[in-house]
Amino acid sequence: MEDARILDLYWARDQRAIDETGLKYGPFLSRTAGNILRDRSDAEECVNDTYLSAWNAIPPARPSAFRAWLGRVVRNLSLDRWKRDRAEKRGAGLEVLLGELEDCVPAPRGTERALEDREIADLISAFLRRLTKENRVIFLRRYWYGQTVVEIASDLNCGAGKVKSSLFRTRNALRNYLEQEGIAL
Amino acid sequence: MKGERLFQILGLVDPELIEEAVSVPAAPRRRTPWRAIAAAAACLVLVVGAGLGGRLLLAGGGSGSMAAGSDGAAAGGEAEESVTGDGITGGGGAATAFMSYAGPVFPLTTAEADTGLTAERTVTWDFAMGAYEDGSPRQWGAQVTDDYVLTNPTDSDITVTALYPFAGTLAGLGTIGTTVTVDGAETPYALHAGPYAGGFRDAGVDDGSTWNLSPPDSFDDYADLLESGAYLAQALGDSPSLDTPVTVYRFSDFAAPHDEYRAATQAVTLSIDPEETTILTYGFNGFSRDDDNAWQRYDYFVPDGVQAESDLKLLVVLGEDIGDYTLQGYADGGCDEPIDGVSCTVTREETTLDAVLSELCRAELANQRQTSQWPGLADLSLSLYQRAVTEAVLSSGALADTPADRYIDGRLDDFLWDVLVQERVLYLSFPVTVPAGGSVTVSASLWKAPSYDFGCSGSENVGLQGYDLATALGSNLVFTSQTAALTNAENIEIVRQNLGFDPANGVTEVILDPAEPHYYLEIRPLEG
Repeated sequence: MEDARILDLYWARDQRAIDETGLKYGPFLSRTAGNILRDRSDAEECVNDTYLSAWNAIPPARPSAFRAWLGRVVRNLSLDRWKRDRAEKRGAGLEVLLGELEDCVPAPRGTERALEDREIADLISAFLRRLTKENRVIFLRRYWYGQTVVEIASDLNCGAGKVKSSLFRTRNALRNYLEQEGIAL
Repeated sequence: MKGERLFQILGLVDPELIEEAVSVPAAPRRRTPWRAIAAAAACLVLVVGAGLGGRLLLAGGGSGSMAAGSDGAAAGGEAEESVTGDGITGGGGAATAFMSYAGPVFPLTTAEADTGLTAERTVTWDFAMGAYEDGSPRQWGAQVTDDYVLTNPTDSDITVTALYPFAGTLAGLGTIGTTVTVDGAETPYALHAGPYAGGFRDAGVDDGSTWNLSPPDSFDDYADLLESGAYLAQALGDSPSLDTPVTVYRFSDFAAPHDEYRAATQAVTLSIDPEETTILTYGFNGFSRDDDNAWQRYDYFVPDGVQAESDLKLLVVLGEDIGDYTLQGYADGGCDEPIDGVSCTVTREETTLDAVLSELCRAELANQRQTSQWPGLADLSLSLYQRAVTEAVLSSGALADTPADRYIDGRLDDFLWDVLVQERVLYLSFPVTVPAGGSVTVSASLWKAPSYDFGCSGSENVGLQGYDLATALGSNLVFTSQTAALTNAENIEIVRQNLGFDPANGVTEVILDPAEPHYYLEIRPLEG
C-alpha cells in the first residue's frame, strides 16, 4: 500500500493503519532496532512502541518521508531502551558504535557555537552530501542504521577493510568539518 | 556522552540521505560463471586433444570460429593457440561477462545500402602507458585506430556518407576524443546520437519496477540494438518535435531569512485532477502528493547565493491549467515548521514544451560547463542535447505510453542529467569520394574505455580489462579482409582472447574472419 494511503488510515483512526505499517515496514524497523540493541525481544518491543508512537503522532503529523520518519522513531526508542538496559547492566551492542562516534566530536576550544540538534543535523546533512555516494552510504548504514562492518561489506559486495577505511576517513573528515564550523557537542 | 548526542543528532539528518543509504543496490555479481565454463571446456578438449597427437585445441563454443588451425587464425603461421596468464585463451563465446561493459569497437558503415565499394580493415589497440593524476604510470583503456582502405572497382566515382559508430555517453565525448582522417587529412564530421541504448530495472527488489537505469551489458545487447538498422535510422532521422502547449509558472526574486534558517524552503501547494493535468518541474527539490484528493506540494530551497542551487525554477503544466495555489515558507525541506519572510515572484506564460526544453538544456549545459568534470561538454551542441532529452521524455517520461518509475515525479532535472550519462551509440558522419578504379584510406581514432569488474566486488576478474570488436555488426560495407593489431603490447598480459595474438612470440597482428561477428581481448596491465 502506498504511504499516502497508510497515512490516510491513521488520519481516519482506522486500526488497519498499524497492520499496513507492519506489513510494509515491520522488517525494516525490526532490523534497525536489532542492529542497535542486538537483542530480538528488546527490538520487537521497540518496534511495537514505534507503532504506538505513530498512532499517537498521526494526526496531526503527516510525514512526507514515512519510512525515514518511522526509522527515526524506532532509532530513538532503541537508544532509550539501550540506555535503560545499560543501567541494568545488560546489552553492549551500541557501546562500540558510540565509541566510534566519539572520534567525530571535536576537542573543545571554548569558542564553539551551541546549536540546536536540528541545526547541527542540517550541517551534517550538508557535509554528507559532499562525500562520495559510496562513503555516504557506508557512513549512514553504520551510524544511522547501526549495521556492522561485515553486514555493510556483504550488502555492498565489497571487503570489510574497505568499509573500515571509509568509516575511518569519514569520521576524521566529520570531526574536521565540525571543528571548522565551530560546533560544540 | 558526546557520541550518544551525535548518534541522536544523526537521527535528524535529511530523510533523502537516509533513504539513499538503503536504496543503493549492491554491485551486480557476474551473471554467468563463464570462467568455470571456459575452464571446463578447456579441460575437456585438452583430453581430446591428447588423443589427436597432442595438438592443443580449444573448444570454440557459441559462434566462435577462431579455433587454432582454422584458416582465420594468427598471421605468421607460428601461433597455435597460446596459453597465457591463468591459462585460458581462444575459444569464441568464452568472453567474460564484465560488470561494467564498455561496448565493442564497431565497423565503419555508410548511409547508402549498396555502395559498390569494397573495404580492407585494420584495427589497432595501442596500450601505451598512461598516467594517474599524480603522474605515476597507469594502464587504463586503449587508443584505438580503425583504418579502412575503401576501393572503387567501378569506372565512375562513388561518393558516400561514411558513418563511424562508437559506444559512449554525451558526457564522455571529451574523453573519447574521436578524430577522422581521409587520406591522411583530418576531416570534419557531423555527430549523430542514437537514443539511450539500455532500459530500466528494479532497485534491488525483484518487483518489475523501473527505478534504475540498466545499460547494455553484453555484445549481444548491442547486436540486438543495431542489427535491424532501425536504431541508425532513428539516429539519422529528424528530431522529434514537442510542440505540446504548456503553461509555465516561473519563480524568481527569491527572499528568505537565510541568517536564521540555513535551509529556508518555499513550498507551492495546489490541487489538480490527475486525469486532466500533468505537472513537470525544474529546479524543485521536494515533492509530496496525496493521490486521493490530488493535493500536491512542490518545494525548493530558497537560493541564497551560496549553495549550488539553480535560480531557474519552473512548474510546467501540461493539459488543464492549475487553479489557485498557495505559497508558504518553511524552516527546512521537511515543510513542517512554517516561517515568515519567504517570498518570490511568480509569473505565468503560455508556450510549448519544446521551448521549455530548449531553455532548460541551454541552462543545464552552461551550468555543467562551469562546474562539471566533463570537459567534452564544451563541444556538445545544444540541438544534439535537446534532441536526446526530447527522446527520453517521449520514450520514458510523462508523455510515454509506459513511463519509467524513475521519472514519475516529473522532474525534468532527472532527464537533463540522465541523458548525459546514458550509454548510446553515436555516429561520426562525413562524406567520402572514392575515384573510379581507385582507393581512399579512412581512419577513425578514439580512446576506448575497457570493460571491467568493480574493484570492491571480490571478483576474480578485478584488474582485467576487456575489449570487444565487432566485424560486421550494422555495416553496409563488403569487407575483403580484416586485421587486428597490438602496439605497446609489452605493457600488458593477455589473459583471454579469441584473436590469436601471441606477443611473446612476436605475433601482434592477426587476420580476422569476417564471418566471426565478435572478437574479444582481455588483458591485465603490467605495471611497475
